Amino acid sequence: MAVQRSDAELARDARSGSEAAYRELVARYAAPAVNFTYRFVHDRALAEDLAQEGFLRVYQRLNTYDPDRKFSSWFFQVLRNVTIDYLRINRLPTASLDALQEEGHQAAAVDRESASPEELAGRGELASAVGAALSRIRPDYREVVVLRYQEGLTQPEIAEILGLPAGTVKTYLHRARKELAEILAAQGWGPTAAEPTAGKTV
Amino acid sequence: MNSDTIRDRKMDRKQLDAWLMAEQGGEDDAADTALAHLFAAVPKVQPRSAFVEQTVSTVWRWRARRRRLLAGAWTAVAALIIASAAIAYSASPLLGGLAVKAIAFLTGHIVPWLIAYASVALHGWLTLGHVGAVVASALITPGRVAAVVGVEFLGILAFYALHRIASAERLGDAQV
Repeated sequence: MAVQRSDAELARDARSGSEAAYRELVARYAAPAVNFTYRFVHDRALAEDLAQEGFLRVYQRLNTYDPDRKFSSWFFQVLRNVTIDYLRINRLPTASLDALQEEGHQAAAVDRESASPEELAGRGELASAVGAALSRIRPDYREVVVLRYQEGLTQPEIAEILGLPAGTVKTYLHRARKELAEILAAQGWGPTAAEPTAGKTV
Repeated sequence: MNSDTIRDRKMDRKQLDAWLMAEQGGEDDAADTALAHLFAAVPKVQPRSAFVEQTVSTVWRWRARRRRLLAGAWTAVAALIIASAAIAYSASPLLGGLAVKAIAFLTGHIVPWLIAYASVALHGWLTLGHVGAVVASALITPGRVAAVVGVEFLGILAFYALHRIASAERLGDAQV
């Protein structure tokens, strides 16, 4: 059984001109990259375009990557810069709640191969509610939530990516969770509430 | 609807409830873990199946274009250097003659002017020095020095007296 090569090794080989190594790197980070950008642009095609732009910039800057550093941190830093550049240039407005609720359907329409329609409906409802709540919090809070809970990065890694002190990241996470909880509770989600109807959140 | 689906759906809701309860209870670590579990249960946006291939081909096309550009740039630089060297070599007798003429012209016109300016400046400086010496010898005699020192001394005494009077007046005002 072949041993899986580390991201740093793949990055080194890709820099040396190995297309296979670069393909492997793209395959590993395709879903995290698209999910990350999607949370900011709320459009799947645009999220893919931005992710692709991010992968191109990563390749262009592979010579600046320090193998002692965690690749994912560096990757998300580059991807974040691409996303910010795009948002600055295009001045994208914050998506409306209705639009995001529509995206809930879209989010629920993914992972088709691995789940039944009933499961997708249940998860889609939850995804819609969480996605809508996430879009309503401050962008810098959203960023730390996505990196922490969606991409599974640690607080020090997030601090490194965002260039913030670790204490600030912790505070952002705490406040972001509070805000998310308040938004969801206001929509009827909560331990004592009955399951909200589909029309309420989707 | 099979039993697995029901269980998964309840699991998602249970995770949401667990997170919200932890958040309400102010349990930071528990809330952090619960929200991580909730996000893990929420479906992710999956890129299209062709995404990886398209991305790799886009990047490799850029790479090939850049390599062609670099190769072109290097070729152009090399051609420029060779052409410059050839032109310099073929035109060197003419260029050498021109350079010598230019140096001779500049030297012949500038150096005499520089010498003339320097001698005029030196003459002026010496004249000033002579005038200064004459004025100083006329002014500085023992009697005049004694008079100047005396006036200065009287002035200092007058200034000191005024200072004392002014201080005494300020003090007197304060006491009133």
